[in-house]
Amino acid sequence: MDSFLLLSTAAKIGFALAIIFSFAPVLIWAERRQSAMMQDRVGPVRANIKLFGINITLFGLLHPLADALKLIFKEDFVPPKADKFLHALAPIISLVPAISVFAVIPFGDVFYPELWNQHFSMDLVGPATRGTPLQIASLNVGILFIFGIAGTGVVGAAIAGYSSNNKYSLLGGIRAAGQMVSYEVTLGMSLVGCFMVYDSLLLEDMVHWQMAHMWGVMAQPIAFFVFFTAAIAETKRIPFDVPEGESEIVGGYFTEYSGMKFGMFFMGEFVEVVTSSAILITLFFGGYHMPFLNAGGWDFSFQAFGHVYLENAQIALQHWGVTLIEVVTWVLKLSLMIWFQLMIRWSLPRFRYDQIMALCWKVLLPLSLLNILITGLVIIWNNS
Amino acid sequence: MPTFKLNDKEIPFEPGETIIRAAWKQGIEIPHYCWHPGLSVAANCRMCLVEVKSQRPMMLPILKWDAEKQDYVEDTKPKLAPACQQAAAEGMEVSSTSDQVKQAQASVQEFLLLNHPVDCPICDQAGECKLQDYWLDHQKTLKRKQTEPVHKVKGVRFGPTIVYDGERCVMCTRCIRFNDEIVGDPVLDMRERGNTNEIVLSPGRQLDHKYSLMNEHVCPVGALTSRDFRFKARVWFLKAQTSVCSGCATGCNMFVDYDPRDQHVYRLRPRDNEAVNKHWMCDDGMLSYHRYHQERIVTGRVRTNGHLADVKIDVAMREAAALLATVEKSKIGVVLSAQHSSEDNFVLAKLAREKFGTDKLYLAALPGWDGDKILRHNDNNPNRAGATLAAGGPLRTVKDLLADVASGAVEGVIALGWASAEDAVALAPLSRAKVVVSLSSNEGALPNTATVVLPVAVHVEMSGTFVNAKGMAQPFKKAIQAPPGVKSAWETTLDLARAMGLGIDFAKLDDVRRAMPANTPAASNPGAPV
Amino acid sequence: MGKLVNKPKYTMMERAYLPEIARGLGVSMRHFFKNTFSRRSKSEIVTVNYPEEKRIYPDRFRGVHRLTHRDDGSPRCVACLCCSTACPAQCIHIEPAEYDTSDPRYGYERFPKVFVIDELRCIFCGYCVEACPCDAIRMDTGVHVPPSTDRAHFIFDKEVLMSIPGADGTYESENPRHEPGDPSHPGLTRNHGH
Repeated sequence: MDSFLLLSTAAKIGFALAIIFSFAPVLIWAERRQSAMMQDRVGPVRANIKLFGINITLFGLLHPLADALKLIFKEDFVPPKADKFLHALAPIISLVPAISVFAVIPFGDVFYPELWNQHFSMDLVGPATRGTPLQIASLNVGILFIFGIAGTGVVGAAIAGYSSNNKYSLLGGIRAAGQMVSYEVTLGMSLVGCFMVYDSLLLEDMVHWQMAHMWGVMAQPIAFFVFFTAAIAETKRIPFDVPEGESEIVGGYFTEYSGMKFGMFFMGEFVEVVTSSAILITLFFGGYHMPFLNAGGWDFSFQAFGHVYLENAQIALQHWGVTLIEVVTWVLKLSLMIWFQLMIRWSLPRFRYDQIMALCWKVLLPLSLLNILITGLVIIWNNS
Repeated sequence: MPTFKLNDKEIPFEPGETIIRAAWKQGIEIPHYCWHPGLSVAANCRMCLVEVKSQRPMMLPILKWDAEKQDYVEDTKPKLAPACQQAAAEGMEVSSTSDQVKQAQASVQEFLLLNHPVDCPICDQAGECKLQDYWLDHQKTLKRKQTEPVHKVKGVRFGPTIVYDGERCVMCTRCIRFNDEIVGDPVLDMRERGNTNEIVLSPGRQLDHKYSLMNEHVCPVGALTSRDFRFKARVWFLKAQTSVCSGCATGCNMFVDYDPRDQHVYRLRPRDNEAVNKHWMCDDGMLSYHRYHQERIVTGRVRTNGHLADVKIDVAMREAAALLATVEKSKIGVVLSAQHSSEDNFVLAKLAREKFGTDKLYLAALPGWDGDKILRHNDNNPNRAGATLAAGGPLRTVKDLLADVASGAVEGVIALGWASAEDAVALAPLSRAKVVVSLSSNEGALPNTATVVLPVAVHVEMSGTFVNAKGMAQPFKKAIQAPPGVKSAWETTLDLARAMGLGIDFAKLDDVRRAMPANTPAASNPGAPV
Repeated sequence: MGKLVNKPKYTMMERAYLPEIARGLGVSMRHFFKNTFSRRSKSEIVTVNYPEEKRIYPDRFRGVHRLTHRDDGSPRCVACLCCSTACPAQCIHIEPAEYDTSDPRYGYERFPKVFVIDELRCIFCGYCVEACPCDAIRMDTGVHVPPSTDRAHFIFDKEVLMSIPGADGTYESENPRHEPGDPSHPGLTRNHGH
């Protein structure tokens, strides 16, 4: 392993972690602020710092800070008869996979540091030109890695419920396990159609396909709907939050958690929102793809009704500029996706547990199977 | 045995018995205030009216409201008879639930409550009051009278134990008859009539005989309340456990009323037993519960530098075992107690005879008190007979023990109980013994002269048996928990034996009872509760 | 016997759920954009900035308990223990006592020597008020239990409970009964000594 690989990977990991750990607290704020805006409330404004006689509240952005301080200094209570080891392990198990998923998400095209100030074209790339894909790891199992890792998250919730020695926790853990295992199936099946269309399991290949053809949401609308629903269910957030179910089982699987251990569950939930949004935009919204942008710069020409319009509307950009626009595009799409997820979370009421299961097994799973059938037929029809 | 029919149920009766008594013996209650199974019949409350079916019933002319005509019309109704006075006859058909009887019961109930202050919240009888019970069973209508109720005397102190409330009184005269017939001291009587009717004391007298507290339990309502129990607890918080009085050798059957939340006994009250105490108990017996909570010994005590110092129970136990080990076993004298149960005495006597090999057994007992012909036995120890039976041989007195200690025949003493006829001065020579181990629940002369004191439970904190002066063995049940760490005397004796390296194999009370010499079985309890 | 529940009838569109979700999201978004991108007037915000602003409580709001007074300032309570019997949280402790024989109220009244409510344990269900036969305990104060960092501050004794006025500022309550100490008592039916 040479220093270039090491350096570039470290930089990418740094970027991904920065995204995750800056998004999580901001999300805590966004959730409060956004819900307040939706419900005609004021939202977080109390936390403040007095500086030179001016109250600085930053629209409530100090609240996550106060939260973090509180959680760190709060007593870490473990129930007397709880399994101490598993009780401590559970929040880690639920947080780490959520972060790990980010390893395979591409947030930009291949970047060639040597060509940073040139107008990029594939001709410039020689055999000695070192490039790095803006993606921490390009695994050949691609999306399957995401399923595998994200599936471990349920273990955290189940262990948390089991080890707390509390009947509400146990109920929450069982609910979480049942719900997540069920939706895991739908999650996988819904994407089979996508695999058939994209003809790859690699996430970067999927983005490239979408850049060349069209966004996945147009190619696979049913898959998008099913996957989106299942992804929300996987994050265990409203309207699929029966594992917590405050009105029924106190706090669900993390009833007996406090302090930073609870903080990890809390954060894990928001990290899951970020990662599920990242997967969604990668699979269905072209990832870092910006319309009218190609490796050389802007190209606004488009073809319609047999004509080519704006044939000469091109703006050449240097390689770093294109890459920057791609990354910014990705971050913007991510933010929009998260915003939409929060929108749903604050608009819908909680499903009953039987409704959740019925939705999964009786609606979403058949729908995804139907999607596979239709996709297959369309592909055969196209090829013949 | 002849029978009659009450509400279509065959009731056997002795010739001459009244309807209400025959029914009571079968456990069927006909509502009543003034009738009491242990007292004469007054038939003045009219609550027990029943309809006696007959071929030629006596019909009374009445005016009945006719809703259709909007006027009174002439009608007849059968004359009702008081069940407490009407003797039962062969083949008689009686109804205590017919419409006429129900109406009569409701009317009597309404009449009795006409001027009642309905101050149940501040009344100690609330919760066990016949007025409340019967209102729910037989009346269930609101007060129709709107005018100011009659006001009578309240809070009159009839004596050191009883307070009288005239407004709550239903004039059933149970208290008058009780003092008259059972105690033979006619200290109460009734005066005036109608609205000014009330119970009064004989001029110049107080209700101060030895059975005065019984008046509270004889009274069916809250008119007579006990100054001892007054405002101490609400009866609905209390639980009752069957037990036997430890006041004297009569062994009156009683209920222990205790609050399970704070494990505190609030009162003792008589439990019916025709063979022992009928329905009664004496004041001293009923007040003996104070001993369960006052002057209790709840820790171990060891004499250091001439003073008894509090130590943990197990420390005292080890100390007692170590000290007793320095004494030759045959020179240990064991003092049984006439205040403790047969089980306690039996285990201690067994330890003495079989493990120490000594026959130096003594009996400590209270010296006796002023008995009478009613209930109080001259011997104020509940279990002298039981202790003697359990010892399996003759017992000598504490005086003999003092002589043996003085002569050097006894060097170590294990003494059960706090009670002894001798006071501290008389017991002083006991300190000449090398070691005196006292198993005691309360302060007393015996534990105060001891070298080591081990706390034990009082009799309501354990199950056991008392044998009364008539030789009847009466078992009693545990009511409240002993203070933390404190066990019954027989269990403490076993612990002491174990600490000395001597094992006696009793795991539970039944083991002890099986090993004990057979005692006379207790008389069963006839009749229903009053 | 079972009760027949009339289930609401849904149209096909409602049963499909998705259109309704879209409608719901539409409402949420309308509010979101309006509130985010335009200046809101005070009346459009539903938030009550407690404690600077206070919501007006309904008349039947159950606040901190109080013990009502008689006209002479003594507690109306007769220590009947009905409230502590009814209390599901078992937070009321009462020790009754008797008036002295020289007191005109002797014989009629007991009074609470000790009356303690553990306001931390209380669940404010109002059963004590329901159970009270003398209108002696009320929760009409309209105020919360004041916050404190010391548990001992929440153990309200008789003096504290009697020092709290009702929402209307009064301390006294009416007594439905005539008692010997009251001026309205007509006296014994037959005046005599014992």
